[in-house]
Amino acid sequence: MSADDDRIGYLAGEGGELDSTERADLDALRALLADPAVWAEPDPGLEDQVVAAIAAERTSGSSSATHRRRGDRGRRPWITVAAGAAAVLVVVGIAVSRATGGSSPQRFAATLTGTALAPSASGSATLTRTDAGWRIVLHTTGLPRLDNGSYYQAWLKNGAGILVSTGTFNQGPTVTLWAGVSPVEFPTVTVTEQLANGKPTPSDTRVLVGQVDERR
Amino acid sequence: MVVQGDLAGFRDGDPDAVRAAYREYGRMVFAVAHKVLGDRGLAEEATQQAFVQAWRSARSFDPTRELGPWLATIARRVAIDVHRREARRAHQPIDEVTSDPALVTLPESAEAAYEAWEVRRALDDLPAEEREVVRLQHLEGLSQSEVAQRLGVPVGTVKSRSFRAHRHLAARLGHLREETA
Repeated sequence: MSADDDRIGYLAGEGGELDSTERADLDALRALLADPAVWAEPDPGLEDQVVAAIAAERTSGSSSATHRRRGDRGRRPWITVAAGAAAVLVVVGIAVSRATGGSSPQRFAATLTGTALAPSASGSATLTRTDAGWRIVLHTTGLPRLDNGSYYQAWLKNGAGILVSTGTFNQGPTVTLWAGVSPVEFPTVTVTEQLANGKPTPSDTRVLVGQVDERR
Repeated sequence: MVVQGDLAGFRDGDPDAVRAAYREYGRMVFAVAHKVLGDRGLAEEATQQAFVQAWRSARSFDPTRELGPWLATIARRVAIDVHRREARRAHQPIDEVTSDPALVTLPESAEAAYEAWEVRRALDDLPAEEREVVRLQHLEGLSQSEVAQRLGVPVGTVKSRSFRAHRHLAARLGHLREETA
């Protein structure tokens, strides 16, 4: 098989070949099939936020508490609803508020590469500033599931080598973690394999590492 | 699939019905928003707004129509609004923000928003193992041999999955080529 046949892939397979019309259809769609936007997965927590947002709007009617940014005159407000005594729901939108007069970064991204201990692993992280802290959406591939007392733990590290945990998980491909420190000061993302042995410090088993870049 | 009863529940804001609608269409709405905005955080914001707006408008929705295209339209419109807001914030002092939408150029990616919806929907219909082969081939640009190695399966298995998946995609998405020709 030539390198081109192997690369093109879908032209031939068991059961026959695609006809010319099918190939033309797929050739026209190659750009879309390669578009990251088509494949991107939303944060798993978004479902709960959608449900909560609609429930909150339903409860408050026209919305009793809204968050309106400066300059959004005449535009539909981004809705943030605080639960009343009877309603037990508190909704926090995903929107990012900019500090008054400030220009501090709101989002970062990091590309993660596998270490020598996990050469086939890879990943990416998006870090978004919210009122609650930095929300980290971590995507990983090539990491087998860990459980029964083993797990993965993600960390942010600063230039002095101080590591702050951002949470633990059992497997990918997508997990949501949280950080109480800024990626500006802690720009290195690390994922380690851990054992539930009472030791809170990171193990020596690093599987993924990367540096954050500011994203606007 | 969202059925008539679910639609009535969605209109009423029933959490289970809202979840059903999100699970059916959420990834597609997100794909449209991400296509227009090119940013995950903004796309998630727009996705949430789109579902809220859909709920607000649900009582005027004709239940004999398909829900998907209607949601796609809402998603695109919301994403464009978010784009305009971000464009104004990036280029102008807040005190000088204008509400005239004509002064902000529509992103070129907005034109491909409906195609993104259709492609995402077709991909979601594939079995997971076939979809993963397609993702590795197109998004990551791997050859069949590399896909086989990544997934730990024989090359013949990759070929079979790839062939079935692409035949299905050609059948589902051929009309897009005709529409854009």
